Amino acid sequence: MSTNRHPIEQEELMAYLDGELPTDQATQTLSHMELCPECQTLAADFRGVSQELMAWEVESSEVGIPSMINAALGERHQKPEAAKVNSPRLENRVLTSRWVWAGALAIVCVAVGLTLTVTSRNRNEDRSTAYASMASIEQYLIQNRNAEIALARSAAPEAISNNAKILVFGWQGYETAIEGKNGFVCMVERSWMSPFNSAEFWNPKVRVPMCFNPAAARSILPLTIKRTEMILAGISKAQMIDSIKAGFDNKELPLPESGAMCYMMSRAGYLNDALGHFVPHLMFYFPLTDKSSWGADLRDSPVTLNPQFRDGPEPITEFVIPVGKWSDGTAAPVM
Amino acid sequence: MTSDEALMLEFQGGSRAAFEELFARYRKPLYGFFGRRLNNPERAEDLTQETFLAVIRAASRYEPRASVRTYLYGIALKLLAAERRKLLISGALGRSVPEAKTDGTPECVLWVRQALEKLDAPEREILMLREYEQLSYSDIAELLRIPLNTVRSRLFRSRLALKSYLESEAKTNPDLRASAEQPRPGRRGMQ
Repeated sequence: MSTNRHPIEQEELMAYLDGELPTDQATQTLSHMELCPECQTLAADFRGVSQELMAWEVESSEVGIPSMINAALGERHQKPEAAKVNSPRLENRVLTSRWVWAGALAIVCVAVGLTLTVTSRNRNEDRSTAYASMASIEQYLIQNRNAEIALARSAAPEAISNNAKILVFGWQGYETAIEGKNGFVCMVERSWMSPFNSAEFWNPKVRVPMCFNPAAARSILPLTIKRTEMILAGISKAQMIDSIKAGFDNKELPLPESGAMCYMMSRAGYLNDALGHFVPHLMFYFPLTDKSSWGADLRDSPVTLNPQFRDGPEPITEFVIPVGKWSDGTAAPVM
Repeated sequence: MTSDEALMLEFQGGSRAAFEELFARYRKPLYGFFGRRLNNPERAEDLTQETFLAVIRAASRYEPRASVRTYLYGIALKLLAAERRKLLISGALGRSVPEAKTDGTPECVLWVRQALEKLDAPEREILMLREYEQLSYSDIAELLRIPLNTVRSRLFRSRLALKSYLESEAKTNPDLRASAEQPRPGRRGMQ
Protein backbone atom coordinates (compact mmCIF):
# COMPACT_ATOMS: atom_id res chain seq x y z
CA MET A 1 0.00 0.00 0.00
CA SER A 2 1.59 3.26 -1.08
CA THR A 3 1.33 6.18 1.29
CA ASN A 4 1.01 8.44 -1.76
CA ARG A 5 -2.38 6.94 -2.50
CA HIS A 6 -3.35 6.45 1.13
CA PRO A 7 -3.32 9.33 3.56
CA ILE A 8 -2.96 6.82 6.41
CA GLU A 9 -0.32 4.23 7.22
CA GLN A 10 -1.29 0.58 7.63
CA GLU A 11 -0.28 0.76 11.29
CA GLU A 12 -2.62 3.70 11.74
CA LEU A 13 -5.44 1.72 10.23
CA MET A 14 -4.76 -1.03 12.74
CA ALA A 15 -4.64 1.52 15.58
CA TYR A 16 -7.96 2.91 14.39
CA LEU A 17 -9.54 -0.54 14.53
CA ASP A 18 -8.16 -0.90 18.05
CA GLY A 19 -9.74 2.43 19.06
CA GLU A 20 -6.27 3.87 19.66
CA LEU A 21 -6.30 6.93 17.39
CA PRO A 22 -7.13 10.44 18.55
CA THR A 23 -10.45 11.74 17.24
CA ASP A 24 -9.08 13.82 14.37
CA GLN A 25 -7.00 10.95 13.01
CA ALA A 26 -9.79 8.47 13.60
CA THR A 27 -12.20 10.66 11.66
CA GLN A 28 -9.72 10.98 8.80
CA THR A 29 -9.11 7.23 8.79
CA LEU A 30 -12.80 6.41 8.85
CA SER A 31 -13.44 8.85 6.04
CA HIS A 32 -10.67 7.33 3.91
CA MET A 33 -11.69 3.76 4.66
CA GLU A 34 -15.20 4.35 3.41
CA LEU A 35 -13.79 5.06 -0.04
CA CYS A 36 -10.80 2.70 -0.14
CA PRO A 37 -11.44 -0.99 -0.93
CA GLU A 38 -7.77 -1.80 -0.29
CA CYS A 39 -7.94 -0.49 3.27
CA GLN A 40 -11.29 -2.20 3.80
CA THR A 41 -9.62 -5.49 2.83
CA LEU A 42 -6.75 -4.90 5.21
CA ALA A 43 -9.22 -4.04 7.98
CA ALA A 44 -11.14 -7.23 7.23
CA ASP A 45 -7.86 -9.18 7.45
CA PHE A 46 -7.08 -7.72 10.87
CA ARG A 47 -10.57 -8.50 12.08
CA GLY A 48 -10.25 -12.01 10.70
CA VAL A 49 -7.07 -12.60 12.73
CA SER A 50 -8.81 -11.39 15.87
CA GLN A 51 -11.79 -13.63 15.24
CA GLU A 52 -9.61 -16.66 14.74
CA LEU A 53 -7.73 -15.94 17.96
CA MET A 54 -11.02 -15.83 19.81
CA ALA A 55 -11.48 -19.51 19.04
CA TRP A 56 -9.15 -20.11 21.98
CA GLU A 57 -11.46 -19.77 24.93
CA VAL A 58 -10.26 -20.80 28.37
CA GLU A 59 -12.92 -21.86 30.81
CA SER A 60 -12.43 -22.42 34.48
CA SER A 61 -14.66 -24.71 36.51
CA GLU A 62 -14.07 -22.97 39.85
CA VAL A 63 -16.80 -20.85 41.36
CA GLY A 64 -16.82 -18.70 44.47
CA ILE A 65 -13.93 -17.36 46.48
CA PRO A 66 -11.36 -20.09 47.25
CA SER A 67 -10.68 -20.86 50.91
CA MET A 68 -7.10 -19.57 50.73
CA ILE A 69 -8.31 -16.16 49.66
CA ASN A 70 -11.10 -16.20 52.22
CA ALA A 71 -8.53 -16.89 54.91
CA ALA A 72 -6.30 -14.05 53.73
CA LEU A 73 -9.26 -11.70 53.71
CA GLY A 74 -10.19 -12.75 57.24
CA GLU A 75 -6.61 -12.23 58.39
CA ARG A 76 -6.47 -8.80 56.82
CA HIS A 77 -9.58 -7.69 58.66
CA GLN A 78 -8.51 -9.16 61.99
CA LYS A 79 -5.02 -7.65 62.04
CA PRO A 80 -5.91 -4.12 63.08
CA GLU A 81 -8.15 -5.41 65.90
CA ALA A 82 -5.48 -7.84 67.11
CA ALA A 83 -2.90 -5.11 67.15
CA LYS A 84 -5.09 -2.99 69.41
CA VAL A 85 -5.79 -5.79 71.92
CA ASN A 86 -2.48 -7.64 71.99
CA SER A 87 -0.08 -4.80 72.42
CA PRO A 88 -0.38 -3.41 75.95
CA ARG A 89 2.99 -1.73 75.74
CA LEU A 90 1.97 0.15 72.68
CA GLU A 91 -1.42 0.86 74.24
CA ASN A 92 0.22 2.35 77.34
CA ARG A 93 2.55 4.41 75.29
CA VAL A 94 -0.31 5.71 73.22
CA LEU A 95 -2.37 6.48 76.32
CA THR A 96 0.41 8.24 78.21
CA SER A 97 1.21 10.38 75.27
CA ARG A 98 -2.35 10.97 74.17
CA TRP A 99 -1.98 14.74 74.24
CA VAL A 100 1.11 14.54 72.09
CA TRP A 101 -0.82 12.35 69.64
CA ALA A 102 -3.89 14.56 69.80
CA GLY A 103 -1.78 17.60 69.01
CA ALA A 104 0.01 15.81 66.19
CA LEU A 105 -3.26 14.51 64.80
CA ALA A 106 -4.76 17.98 64.86
CA ILE A 107 -1.77 19.35 62.96
CA VAL A 108 -1.94 16.51 60.43
CA CYS A 109 -5.69 17.02 59.96
CA VAL A 110 -5.27 20.73 59.39
CA ALA A 111 -2.37 20.12 57.01
CA VAL A 112 -4.21 17.39 55.10
CA GLY A 113 -7.37 19.48 55.02
CA LEU A 114 -5.49 22.47 53.67
CA THR A 115 -3.64 20.35 51.13
CA LEU A 116 -6.84 18.68 49.94
CA THR A 117 -8.66 21.99 49.75
CA VAL A 118 -5.84 23.64 47.83
CA THR A 119 -5.28 20.61 45.56
CA SER A 120 -8.96 20.20 44.89
CA ARG A 121 -9.38 23.92 44.26
CA ASN A 122 -6.36 23.92 41.93
CA ARG A 123 -7.65 20.90 40.07
CA ASN A 124 -11.11 22.41 39.69
CA GLU A 125 -9.61 25.72 38.65
CA ASP A 126 -7.38 23.96 36.11
CA ARG A 127 -10.39 22.25 34.57
CA SER A 128 -12.75 25.18 34.68
CA THR A 129 -10.23 27.71 33.44
CA ALA A 130 -9.04 25.44 30.62
CA TYR A 131 -12.31 26.06 28.76
CA ALA A 132 -13.54 29.16 30.54
CA SER A 133 -15.16 30.70 27.49
CA MET A 134 -16.16 29.91 23.95
CA ALA A 135 -13.31 29.31 21.52
CA SER A 136 -13.46 30.66 17.97
CA ILE A 137 -16.11 28.97 15.82
CA GLU A 138 -13.42 27.52 13.55
CA GLN A 139 -12.28 25.32 16.39
CA TYR A 140 -15.70 23.70 16.64
CA LEU A 141 -15.99 23.12 12.91
CA ILE A 142 -14.78 20.01 11.10
CA GLN A 143 -13.21 21.41 7.97
CA ASN A 144 -13.69 18.30 5.87
CA ARG A 145 -17.44 17.93 5.30
CA ASN A 146 -17.08 14.29 4.22
CA ALA A 147 -15.19 13.55 7.41
CA GLU A 148 -18.04 15.00 9.47
CA ILE A 149 -20.57 12.94 7.51
CA ALA A 150 -18.52 9.79 8.10
CA LEU A 151 -18.15 10.64 11.79
CA ALA A 152 -21.90 11.27 12.14
CA ARG A 153 -22.67 7.95 10.43
CA SER A 154 -20.27 6.12 12.72
CA ALA A 155 -22.73 6.70 15.59
CA ALA A 156 -24.87 3.75 14.50
CA PRO A 157 -24.39 0.49 12.59
CA GLU A 158 -24.37 0.96 8.80
CA ALA A 159 -27.74 -0.74 8.46
CA ILE A 160 -29.19 2.28 10.24
CA SER A 161 -26.88 5.17 9.41
CA ASN A 162 -26.59 4.50 5.67
CA ASN A 163 -30.23 5.47 5.27
CA ALA A 164 -30.29 8.19 7.91
CA LYS A 165 -30.49 11.90 7.36
CA ILE A 166 -27.08 13.47 8.05
CA LEU A 167 -26.66 16.90 9.60
CA VAL A 168 -23.32 18.73 9.65
CA PHE A 169 -22.35 21.74 11.72
CA GLY A 170 -21.49 24.91 9.80
CA TRP A 171 -21.15 28.62 10.38
CA GLN A 172 -24.93 29.04 10.45
CA GLY A 173 -25.65 26.01 12.62
CA TYR A 174 -26.63 22.49 11.65
CA GLU A 175 -27.57 21.92 8.03
CA THR A 176 -28.71 18.88 6.10
CA ALA A 177 -25.86 17.26 4.21
CA ILE A 178 -27.71 14.14 3.09
CA GLU A 179 -31.43 13.44 3.10
CA GLY A 180 -32.48 10.21 4.79
CA LYS A 181 -34.97 7.46 4.11
CA ASN A 182 -35.56 5.80 7.46
CA GLY A 183 -36.44 8.67 9.81
CA PHE A 184 -33.14 8.45 11.74
CA VAL A 185 -30.93 11.52 12.00
CA CYS A 186 -27.18 11.26 12.55
CA MET A 187 -25.03 14.23 13.55
CA VAL A 188 -21.99 15.21 15.60
CA GLU A 189 -22.85 17.19 18.70
CA ARG A 190 -20.44 19.74 20.16
CA SER A 191 -19.46 20.56 23.72
CA TRP A 192 -22.39 22.90 24.45
CA MET A 193 -24.72 19.93 24.78
CA SER A 194 -22.89 19.20 28.08
CA PRO A 195 -24.58 20.25 31.34
CA PHE A 196 -24.41 24.02 31.76
CA ASN A 197 -22.17 23.66 34.81
CA SER A 198 -19.75 21.31 33.06
CA ALA A 199 -16.10 22.40 33.07
CA GLU A 200 -15.95 21.25 29.45
CA PHE A 201 -18.97 23.18 28.20
CA TRP A 202 -16.70 25.08 25.81
CA ASN A 203 -14.17 22.31 25.09
CA PRO A 204 -13.63 22.65 21.31
CA LYS A 205 -12.21 19.12 21.05
CA VAL A 206 -15.54 17.51 21.87
CA ARG A 207 -17.11 15.57 18.98
CA VAL A 208 -20.09 13.41 19.90
CA PRO A 209 -21.51 11.33 17.05
CA MET A 210 -25.18 10.56 17.68
CA CYS A 211 -27.88 8.88 15.67
CA PHE A 212 -31.42 9.68 16.83
CA ASN A 213 -34.28 7.34 16.07
CA PRO A 214 -37.40 8.95 14.53
CA ALA A 215 -39.04 9.62 17.92
CA ALA A 216 -35.88 11.29 19.23
CA ALA A 217 -35.32 13.13 15.96
CA ARG A 218 -38.72 14.74 16.50
CA SER A 219 -38.47 15.37 20.23
CA ILE A 220 -34.79 15.54 21.31
CA LEU A 221 -33.02 16.90 18.26
CA PRO A 222 -34.90 20.24 18.46
CA LEU A 223 -33.12 20.84 21.73
CA THR A 224 -29.71 20.40 20.11
CA ILE A 225 -30.73 22.73 17.31
CA LYS A 226 -32.01 25.34 19.76
CA ARG A 227 -28.93 25.27 22.00
CA THR A 228 -26.71 25.55 18.93
CA GLU A 229 -28.66 28.52 17.56
CA MET A 230 -28.35 30.29 20.90
CA ILE A 231 -24.62 29.56 21.07
CA LEU A 232 -24.08 31.03 17.62
CA ALA A 233 -26.20 34.03 18.60
CA GLY A 234 -23.74 34.61 21.44
CA ILE A 235 -26.27 34.77 24.27
CA SER A 236 -25.23 34.04 27.86
CA LYS A 237 -25.71 30.73 29.65
CA ALA A 238 -28.26 32.32 31.99
CA GLN A 239 -30.27 33.56 29.02
CA MET A 240 -30.03 30.16 27.38
CA ILE A 241 -31.34 28.46 30.51
CA ASP A 242 -34.27 30.90 30.70
CA SER A 243 -35.02 30.46 27.03
CA ILE A 244 -35.03 26.66 27.27
CA LYS A 245 -37.33 26.76 30.30
CA ALA A 246 -39.67 29.07 28.42
CA GLY A 247 -39.45 26.83 25.36
CA PHE A 248 -40.74 23.86 27.35
CA ASP A 249 -43.37 25.99 29.12
CA ASN A 250 -44.83 27.30 25.87
CA LYS A 251 -44.49 23.91 24.12
CA GLU A 252 -42.05 25.28 21.56
CA LEU A 253 -39.75 22.49 22.73
CA PRO A 254 -41.42 19.06 22.92
CA LEU A 255 -41.07 16.56 25.71
CA PRO A 256 -39.41 13.25 24.74
CA GLU A 257 -41.75 11.11 22.68
CA SER A 258 -42.42 7.55 23.71
CA GLY A 259 -39.58 5.35 22.46
CA ALA A 260 -37.12 8.19 21.91
CA MET A 261 -33.59 6.85 21.85
CA CYS A 262 -30.20 7.44 20.33
CA TYR A 263 -27.26 5.34 19.15
CA MET A 264 -23.81 6.41 20.36
CA MET A 265 -21.64 3.59 19.13
CA SER A 266 -18.84 5.48 17.39
CA ARG A 267 -15.29 4.50 18.22
CA ALA A 268 -14.10 7.79 16.72
CA GLY A 269 -16.03 10.16 18.98
CA TYR A 270 -14.56 12.30 21.74
CA LEU A 271 -17.04 12.85 24.54
CA ASN A 272 -14.82 14.97 26.74
CA ASP A 273 -11.33 15.03 28.25
CA ALA A 274 -12.36 12.71 31.06
CA LEU A 275 -14.12 10.05 28.98
CA GLY A 276 -12.36 10.20 25.60
CA HIS A 277 -14.02 7.74 23.23
CA PHE A 278 -15.92 6.26 26.22
CA VAL A 279 -17.71 2.99 25.39
CA PRO A 280 -20.40 2.33 22.79
CA HIS A 281 -23.83 2.84 24.30
CA LEU A 282 -27.48 3.58 23.71
CA MET A 283 -29.42 6.42 25.30
CA PHE A 284 -33.11 6.47 26.14
CA TYR A 285 -35.07 9.66 26.81
CA PHE A 286 -38.11 10.25 29.02
CA PRO A 287 -40.01 13.14 30.55
CA LEU A 288 -38.67 13.49 34.12
CA THR A 289 -38.64 9.99 35.59
CA ASP A 290 -37.29 8.56 38.81
CA LYS A 291 -34.11 6.64 38.06
CA SER A 292 -35.29 3.77 40.22
CA SER A 293 -37.96 3.01 37.59
CA TRP A 294 -35.12 1.69 35.43
CA GLY A 295 -32.97 0.41 38.28
CA ALA A 296 -30.34 2.90 37.18
CA ASP A 297 -27.09 3.31 39.13
CA LEU A 298 -27.82 0.29 41.31
CA ARG A 299 -25.06 -2.21 41.98
CA ASP A 300 -24.40 -4.39 38.88
CA SER A 301 -27.13 -2.61 36.93
CA PRO A 302 -25.98 -1.84 33.39
CA VAL A 303 -28.25 1.21 33.36
CA THR A 304 -26.87 4.60 34.34
CA LEU A 305 -28.61 7.93 34.72
CA ASN A 306 -26.88 10.30 32.32
CA PRO A 307 -26.10 13.66 33.97
CA GLN A 308 -26.54 15.60 30.71
CA PHE A 309 -29.88 17.11 31.69
CA ARG A 310 -29.77 16.50 35.45
CA ASP A 311 -30.42 19.74 37.36
CA GLY A 312 -30.69 21.52 33.99
CA PRO A 313 -33.59 23.44 32.48
CA GLU A 314 -34.69 20.48 30.34
CA PRO A 315 -37.34 18.31 32.03
CA ILE A 316 -35.75 15.19 30.58
CA THR A 317 -34.38 12.01 32.13
CA GLU A 318 -31.80 10.17 30.10
CA PHE A 319 -30.65 6.60 30.70
CA VAL A 320 -27.47 5.09 29.26
CA ILE A 321 -26.86 1.42 28.56
CA PRO A 322 -23.41 0.33 27.35
CA VAL A 323 -23.28 -2.20 24.52
CA GLY A 324 -20.59 -4.68 23.60
CA LYS A 325 -19.63 -3.50 20.13
CA TRP A 326 -18.76 -0.34 18.29
CA SER A 327 -20.92 0.52 15.29
CA ASP A 328 -18.46 -1.17 12.92
CA GLY A 329 -18.98 -4.47 14.72
CA THR A 330 -15.63 -4.51 16.53
CA ALA A 331 -15.61 -5.41 20.20
CA ALA A 332 -15.69 -2.68 22.79
CA PRO A 333 -13.35 -2.52 25.78
CA VAL A 334 -14.59 -4.37 28.83
CA MET A 335 -15.94 -1.91 31.38
CA MET B 1 -21.46 0.51 37.62
CA THR B 2 -18.78 1.20 40.22
CA SER B 3 -15.36 1.56 38.62
CA ASP B 4 -12.58 -0.90 39.41
CA GLU B 5 -10.55 1.91 40.92
CA ALA B 6 -13.37 2.94 43.26
CA LEU B 7 -13.77 -0.70 44.32
CA MET B 8 -10.07 -0.98 45.00
CA LEU B 9 -10.16 2.11 47.19
CA GLU B 10 -13.22 0.76 49.00
CA PHE B 11 -11.37 -2.50 49.58
CA GLN B 12 -8.38 -0.56 50.85
CA GLY B 13 -10.78 1.06 53.29
CA GLY B 14 -11.87 -2.36 54.54
CA SER B 15 -14.79 -3.34 52.30
CA ARG B 16 -14.84 -7.07 51.71
CA ALA B 17 -17.77 -6.69 49.30
CA ALA B 18 -15.61 -4.47 47.09
CA PHE B 19 -12.96 -7.20 46.91
CA GLU B 20 -15.58 -9.80 46.09
CA GLU B 21 -16.80 -7.63 43.24
CA LEU B 22 -13.26 -7.24 41.89
CA PHE B 23 -12.75 -10.98 42.25
CA ALA B 24 -15.94 -11.63 40.29
CA ARG B 25 -14.84 -9.24 37.53
CA TYR B 26 -11.28 -10.47 37.13
CA ARG B 27 -11.19 -14.10 38.14
CA LYS B 28 -12.02 -15.47 34.70
CA PRO B 29 -9.87 -13.00 32.75
CA LEU B 30 -6.88 -13.77 34.97
CA TYR B 31 -7.46 -17.48 34.71
CA GLY B 32 -7.54 -17.05 30.95
CA PHE B 33 -4.30 -15.07 31.10
CA PHE B 34 -2.45 -17.88 32.87
CA GLY B 35 -4.34 -20.65 31.10
CA ARG B 36 -3.29 -19.51 27.63
CA ARG B 37 0.31 -18.92 28.59
CA LEU B 38 0.94 -22.05 30.61
CA ASN B 39 -1.49 -24.55 29.10
CA ASN B 40 -1.79 -26.05 32.57
CA PRO B 41 -5.21 -25.59 34.22
CA GLU B 42 -4.03 -26.45 37.74
CA ARG B 43 -1.20 -23.93 37.70
CA ALA B 44 -3.45 -21.38 36.03
CA GLU B 45 -5.86 -21.73 38.94
CA ASP B 46 -3.07 -21.49 41.52
CA LEU B 47 -1.55 -18.41 39.94
CA THR B 48 -4.93 -16.72 39.61
CA GLN B 49 -5.36 -17.18 43.35
CA GLU B 50 -1.84 -15.94 43.99
CA THR B 51 -2.60 -12.79 42.03
CA PHE B 52 -5.56 -12.02 44.28
CA LEU B 53 -3.54 -12.92 47.37
CA ALA B 54 -0.91 -10.40 46.26
CA VAL B 55 -3.67 -7.80 45.89
CA ILE B 56 -4.87 -8.50 49.43
CA ARG B 57 -1.36 -8.30 50.87
CA ALA B 58 -0.48 -5.11 49.03
CA ALA B 59 -3.86 -3.39 49.38
CA SER B 60 -2.60 -0.84 51.87
CA ARG B 61 0.13 0.25 49.45
CA TYR B 62 -2.13 0.51 46.40
CA GLU B 63 -2.16 3.95 44.79
CA PRO B 64 -4.56 4.72 41.97
CA ARG B 65 -1.83 5.74 39.53
CA ALA B 66 -2.68 3.08 36.97
CA SER B 67 -5.97 1.36 36.25
CA VAL B 68 -6.77 -1.66 38.42
CA ARG B 69 -6.78 -3.71 35.24
CA THR B 70 -3.17 -2.76 34.49
CA TYR B 71 -2.24 -3.24 38.13
CA LEU B 72 -3.66 -6.78 38.18
CA TYR B 73 -2.00 -7.81 34.93
CA GLY B 74 1.24 -6.30 36.21
CA ILE B 75 1.10 -8.70 39.16
CA ALA B 76 0.08 -11.54 36.85
CA LEU B 77 3.03 -10.90 34.51
CA LYS B 78 5.46 -11.03 37.45
CA LEU B 79 3.98 -14.29 38.70
CA LEU B 80 4.12 -15.70 35.18
CA ALA B 81 7.79 -14.75 34.82
CA ALA B 82 8.56 -16.47 38.13
CA GLU B 83 6.65 -19.55 37.04
CA ARG B 84 8.55 -19.70 33.77
CA ARG B 85 11.86 -19.40 35.62
CA LYS B 86 10.82 -22.34 37.81
CA LEU B 87 9.93 -24.37 34.76
CA LEU B 88 13.27 -23.56 33.14
CA ILE B 89 15.17 -24.60 36.26
CA SER B 90 13.13 -27.79 36.54
CA GLY B 91 13.93 -28.56 32.92
CA ALA B 92 17.63 -27.82 33.44
CA LEU B 93 17.73 -30.14 36.47
CA GLY B 94 16.20 -32.91 34.41
CA ARG B 95 12.91 -32.94 36.28
CA SER B 96 9.86 -33.57 34.22
CA VAL B 97 8.07 -30.44 33.12
CA PRO B 98 4.35 -31.06 32.56
CA GLU B 99 3.43 -31.18 28.90
CA ALA B 100 0.79 -28.83 27.64
CA LYS B 101 -2.52 -30.68 27.76
CA THR B 102 -4.19 -31.19 24.42
CA ASP B 103 -6.76 -33.89 25.23
CA GLY B 104 -10.15 -32.85 24.04
CA THR B 105 -8.88 -29.51 22.76
CA PRO B 106 -10.72 -28.55 19.57
CA GLU B 107 -8.53 -28.60 16.49
CA CYS B 108 -9.20 -24.96 15.72
CA VAL B 109 -7.78 -24.04 19.15
CA LEU B 110 -4.70 -26.20 18.61
CA TRP B 111 -4.27 -24.47 15.30
CA VAL B 112 -4.38 -21.00 16.90
CA ARG B 113 -1.98 -22.12 19.62
CA GLN B 114 0.47 -23.46 17.09
CA ALA B 115 0.29 -20.27 15.06
CA LEU B 116 0.92 -18.15 18.18
CA GLU B 117 3.89 -20.31 19.16
CA LYS B 118 5.53 -19.47 15.86
CA LEU B 119 5.67 -15.78 16.76
CA ASP B 120 8.67 -14.28 18.55
CA ALA B 121 7.99 -14.28 22.28
CA PRO B 122 7.90 -10.46 22.75
CA GLU B 123 5.54 -10.02 19.80
CA ARG B 124 3.36 -12.90 20.97
CA GLU B 125 3.05 -11.36 24.43
CA ILE B 126 1.99 -7.99 23.02
CA LEU B 127 -0.52 -9.59 20.71
CA MET B 128 -2.01 -11.69 23.51
CA LEU B 129 -2.21 -8.75 25.92
CA ARG B 130 -4.08 -6.82 23.27
CA GLU B 131 -6.37 -9.54 21.94
CA TYR B 132 -7.15 -11.57 25.02
CA GLU B 133 -6.61 -9.15 27.89
CA GLN B 134 -7.94 -6.19 25.88
CA LEU B 135 -5.26 -3.86 27.19
CA SER B 136 -4.64 -0.53 25.49
CA TYR B 137 -1.36 0.22 23.75
CA SER B 138 -0.32 2.52 26.59
CA ASP B 139 -1.17 -0.10 29.22
CA ILE B 140 0.94 -2.67 27.37
CA ALA B 141 3.80 -0.18 27.00
CA GLU B 142 3.69 0.52 30.73
CA LEU B 143 3.53 -3.14 31.73
CA LEU B 144 6.32 -4.28 29.44
CA ARG B 145 8.31 -1.07 29.89
CA ILE B 146 8.72 -0.42 26.21
CA PRO B 147 7.85 2.65 24.11
CA LEU B 148 4.31 3.01 22.83
CA ASN B 149 5.48 3.03 19.21
CA THR B 150 7.25 -0.27 19.79
CA VAL B 151 4.00 -1.77 21.03
CA ARG B 152 2.22 -0.59 17.92
CA SER B 153 4.86 -1.73 15.44
CA ARG B 154 5.28 -5.15 17.10
CA LEU B 155 1.55 -5.63 17.28
CA PHE B 156 1.30 -4.79 13.60
CA ARG B 157 4.07 -7.24 12.69
CA SER B 158 2.63 -10.00 14.82
CA ARG B 159 -0.84 -9.63 13.32
CA LEU B 160 0.51 -9.77 9.80
CA ALA B 161 2.69 -12.77 10.67
CA LEU B 162 -0.22 -14.54 12.30
CA LYS B 163 -2.42 -13.88 9.31
CA SER B 164 0.24 -15.37 7.07
CA TYR B 165 0.64 -18.48 9.29
CA LEU B 166 -3.08 -19.01 9.50
CA GLU B 167 -3.48 -18.64 5.75
CA SER B 168 -0.72 -21.13 5.00
CA GLU B 169 -2.24 -23.59 7.47
CA ALA B 170 -5.63 -23.10 5.86
CA LYS B 171 -4.22 -24.00 2.46
CA THR B 172 -2.78 -27.25 3.77
CA ASN B 173 -5.83 -28.08 5.89
CA PRO B 174 -8.99 -26.45 4.56
CA ASP B 175 -11.35 -28.46 6.84
CA LEU B 176 -9.69 -27.00 9.90
CA ARG B 177 -10.16 -23.50 8.57
CA ALA B 178 -13.86 -24.15 8.16
CA SER B 179 -14.20 -25.31 11.75
CA ALA B 180 -12.29 -22.28 13.04
CA GLU B 181 -14.60 -19.95 11.21
CA GLN B 182 -17.74 -21.17 12.96
CA PRO B 183 -19.26 -18.29 14.93
CA ARG B 184 -18.84 -18.55 18.68
CA PRO B 185 -20.66 -16.73 21.43
CA GLY B 186 -18.81 -14.28 23.60
CA ARG B 187 -16.09 -13.42 21.13
CA ARG B 188 -14.14 -10.30 21.82
CA GLY B 189 -11.32 -8.48 20.14
CA MET B 190 -11.04 -6.80 16.78
CA GLN B 191 -14.07 -8.35 15.10
